[in-house]
Amino acid sequence: MNDREVYIIGAGMTQLYRKAPMPLDELGRQAIFAAVKDAGINFKEIGSVTVGNMGGLSGAICIGQRIACSLGLGGVPMINVESACSSGAMAVNKAVEHVASGKCDVALAVGVEHLSSVRGSGTAFAPDSRDPEGLQGATMPGIYAMRTRRYMHEFGATLEDMALVAVKNRRHAMNNPYSSFRTPITVEEVVNARMVADPLTLLMSCPNADGGASVVVATKEVAQRLGKKLVKVAASHITSGIFKNSFRDFTEMEITIRGAKESYEEAGLGPDDISMVECHDAFVIGEVLYLEAMGFCKHGEAIPFLKSGQSDYGGKVVFSPRGGLLSCGHPTGCSGCAQIVEATWQLRGEAGDRQVPGCKAALTHVTGGGVYGLDNAACTIHILTN
Amino acid sequence: MAEQVVFHPDILCIPEGGEKPYLIAYKCSCGSAWFPKLPFCPNCWSDKLEPMPLSRTGKLYTYTIVAIPQPGLQAPLAYGFVNFPEGVSVCAQIDVQGDLETIQKALHIDMDVEVAAGVIRKDKDGNETISYRFKPI
Ligand SMILES: [Zn+2]
Repeated sequence: MNDREVYIIGAGMTQLYRKAPMPLDELGRQAIFAAVKDAGINFKEIGSVTVGNMGGLSGAICIGQRIACSLGLGGVPMINVESACSSGAMAVNKAVEHVASGKCDVALAVGVEHLSSVRGSGTAFAPDSRDPEGLQGATMPGIYAMRTRRYMHEFGATLEDMALVAVKNRRHAMNNPYSSFRTPITVEEVVNARMVADPLTLLMSCPNADGGASVVVATKEVAQRLGKKLVKVAASHITSGIFKNSFRDFTEMEITIRGAKESYEEAGLGPDDISMVECHDAFVIGEVLYLEAMGFCKHGEAIPFLKSGQSDYGGKVVFSPRGGLLSCGHPTGCSGCAQIVEATWQLRGEAGDRQVPGCKAALTHVTGGGVYGLDNAACTIHILTN
Repeated sequence: MAEQVVFHPDILCIPEGGEKPYLIAYKCSCGSAWFPKLPFCPNCWSDKLEPMPLSRTGKLYTYTIVAIPQPGLQAPLAYGFVNFPEGVSVCAQIDVQGDLETIQKALHIDMDVEVAAGVIRKDKDGNETISYRFKPI
């Protein structure tokens, strides 16, 4: 298969709100508007639209058409995709495929979520209650808490070690005007915050948020015509979980190890080439497990890597320069696309006070979904280069 | 009238004679074992899966105590994954009563637990779902 090269020509997003003052459709439209304006193209050039939203939450069908048709984008293929937290990144993957395969020269993706209108605070995401773990009461915080406890047991990590991820990402978010979670926090505050799922506290968990994010992708010819700094999609990769109910190692993320390996192969790059990562840090244990799963350090060595500042500015790779899900909040269907918007800005050198110096390659990673017998239901990884 | 429903009769056996309950996994001729019962073996697509009673006890691989449970469940609620000698890992609630601190003291990784039967949830009309739980030995 001889795919065409694909470039990101436009990126835009809304503020990530604790509680957005406008409905879901409007968040989506604002994100699209920002991305298309950033691209500097005529909106009539857009040859396909893909929308990521966490289905079932909004209760809306054909959410993409509701968002985009009144912007005059109708008449082209318009696709709604869902895989929980991976939805927004999957939408980008579809847009990339449309351009790579030659279906169109310019494609748009948007990820959007309005959690505050559908979820009360003090509730936890849970697997489907028809699956055997869901029926027993398993929640997403509970599953990550079990990973945290086993990791601490096997590698002697402490809660204070885990809290460092939350403190670092909050410090990063202080330089991100799109985040609504920018008050500095300390290790002590993180450890002593209200318990969510022992041993994880509230400040070790991502807050809910509302938001929309959008990117426009195109061929190299279109990208060169526009004259902006080129941002190439070096890898756009989706994989799914493998069913297993024999002994599982909770300190290894099989789906991410596999997804990262395949993405590096697709890009022809390795962990040493990556300047920054936005990962699925829905809980502090996420960064710890993903540092290892993505090959930045060996299994069991993430805590010393983190403590010596290797995943911070000035280290080997900057994890979560925008603040991650932990300090941007996690508007589920939006997050995967918002990570790609951040990576684009970083690669263009437009990230302001949070700019990663000399950013050459950025990796974004969102998993999604608690399904019985699977590590995660989905894992979507993008690698962008300049 | 509130009812009791035994949710998992094909994977949880509660003997009539008062002996202790146990779980039933399903073994395929290809050698893999599955819990709960699946229509086809995900490894070879055979539908000839034979019941295989699991040991009554297993080791607690990891666990949590949730303060924010699913709607309709009471906090604090402990649950965890238990590894059985037959090579199957099962997630279920752990039967320890008390506040967070009491439960924290009662549980530790790699401890032995046994299978029990009990109420795992109640709906808003008071109907109870009976299924498997784990109990520290
Ligand atoms: Zn088989």
